[in-house]
Amino acid sequence: MIIKILGSGCPSCLLLEEMVKQAIEELDLKDVQIEHVYDIDKIISYGVMATPALVIDEKVKSAGRIPSIVEIKKLLTQ
Amino acid sequence: MNKKDIQTLILLLGLFLFFYFMPLNSKIFVDAIFSGLKMLNDYARQHVLTCLVPAFFIAGAIAVFVKKDFILRYLGGQAKKYIAYGLASVSGAILAVCSCTILPLFAGIRKRGAGLGPAITFLFSGPAINIAAMFLTISVLGIRIGLARIISSILLSILIGLTMAFIFKEKPEEGGIFVEEYKEIKIGKKFLILFFIAMVGILVVNGLQINKMIKFGLMIFLVLVTAAIAIFKFHQETTKEWLKETWNFVKTLLPVLFLGVFVAGFIMPFLPQSIIEKIVGSNSIFGNLIVAIFGVFMYFSTLTEIPILQALIAKGMSSGPVLALLLAGPSLSLPSMLVIRKILGTRKTLVYISLVIIYATLAGLIFGLFV
Repeated sequence: MIIKILGSGCPSCLLLEEMVKQAIEELDLKDVQIEHVYDIDKIISYGVMATPALVIDEKVKSAGRIPSIVEIKKLLTQ
Repeated sequence: MNKKDIQTLILLLGLFLFFYFMPLNSKIFVDAIFSGLKMLNDYARQHVLTCLVPAFFIAGAIAVFVKKDFILRYLGGQAKKYIAYGLASVSGAILAVCSCTILPLFAGIRKRGAGLGPAITFLFSGPAINIAAMFLTISVLGIRIGLARIISSILLSILIGLTMAFIFKEKPEEGGIFVEEYKEIKIGKKFLILFFIAMVGILVVNGLQINKMIKFGLMIFLVLVTAAIAIFKFHQETTKEWLKETWNFVKTLLPVLFLGVFVAGFIMPFLPQSIIEKIVGSNSIFGNLIVAIFGVFMYFSTLTEIPILQALIAKGMSSGPVLALLLAGPSLSLPSMLVIRKILGTRKTLVYISLVIIYATLAGLIFGLFV
């Protein structure tokens, strides 16, 4: 599974990254790759207009908000 | 020691040196400190409780209740041009954007959505039209300048967007945008409207020139109405969300504002009245232009342009240049230029900066003629 966090490096983007890492640890998921995408052109290419956004396996799951840790876990296990 | 520790060390060292060498015997220094504290006192007594706090609650409510996906959809590629421009010019108030979220939105609207023109419109009006800034301008600088700021920010943003789209014809790429479906909030429309009316009412009543007893009575009544709707009519989750959004605004804006107010008060005794009167004391082309250029390069953190202007007005700045600074100041700064240049390229950025300067100067001149 490849997880991407789209964000220009703003505080909430970094927070989302932390939360995703925490969720992965708590779920004890293996074989996960996390990538933080800072480049604005790449962010736009996902059609995302509001950061932070969470992308799992190239599909946008949330944008413009920080999902709760429960929601992140749900998204990761789907 | 990591990078953050080093920054803290430098900050502490600077503070220490300042405290050590503080010229407490110099009269002008003591006067400046006093003037800074006096201005803070004035804001705390006159503007924080009655203007800013309600404005933060309104901004919080907008963030919760206005559906963002709806707005983004109308700024998408298929949107009609006049709707896209109109919406982009006011969406700063609705999307409640800080500079950190404004750039992805700008780039998104330009590349995947309604195109360069509406994106520029959004970029310009976004910071100028935020709720707290609008109400604080009215409360501190008066209703005339406040309204002039709101109206001309909207008009100017559309003009600048149209001009940019006219000069650079560029087509957005295909691909569409990702819009998240937000969960429906279930509240009767009537109560929601009453909720907003009550909150805006608090601000309006505060501005009225009526008997103090009646005024405070009315304001307390409206606060109770707002609270009652939030407690009894909203879902508990919604109320929590509202308070969370409000707290976010308070947390990010208030500390910087206090600092800005103190700094504005502090520098006031050092501002040379004669020079200010000479350059911007009257509504001249030169005065408006100088101020617009200064505003475009200078960085103002959200809301802090207001106390700075208050200090300048006290030293004799006239209304035209005040408006020119209010228009050119918040929308651009040297740091933001560099970021915009990365997205737009040098040529378009230069044209955009020049347009802001020219239109802000003109708006200041025209406003100066009327007042």
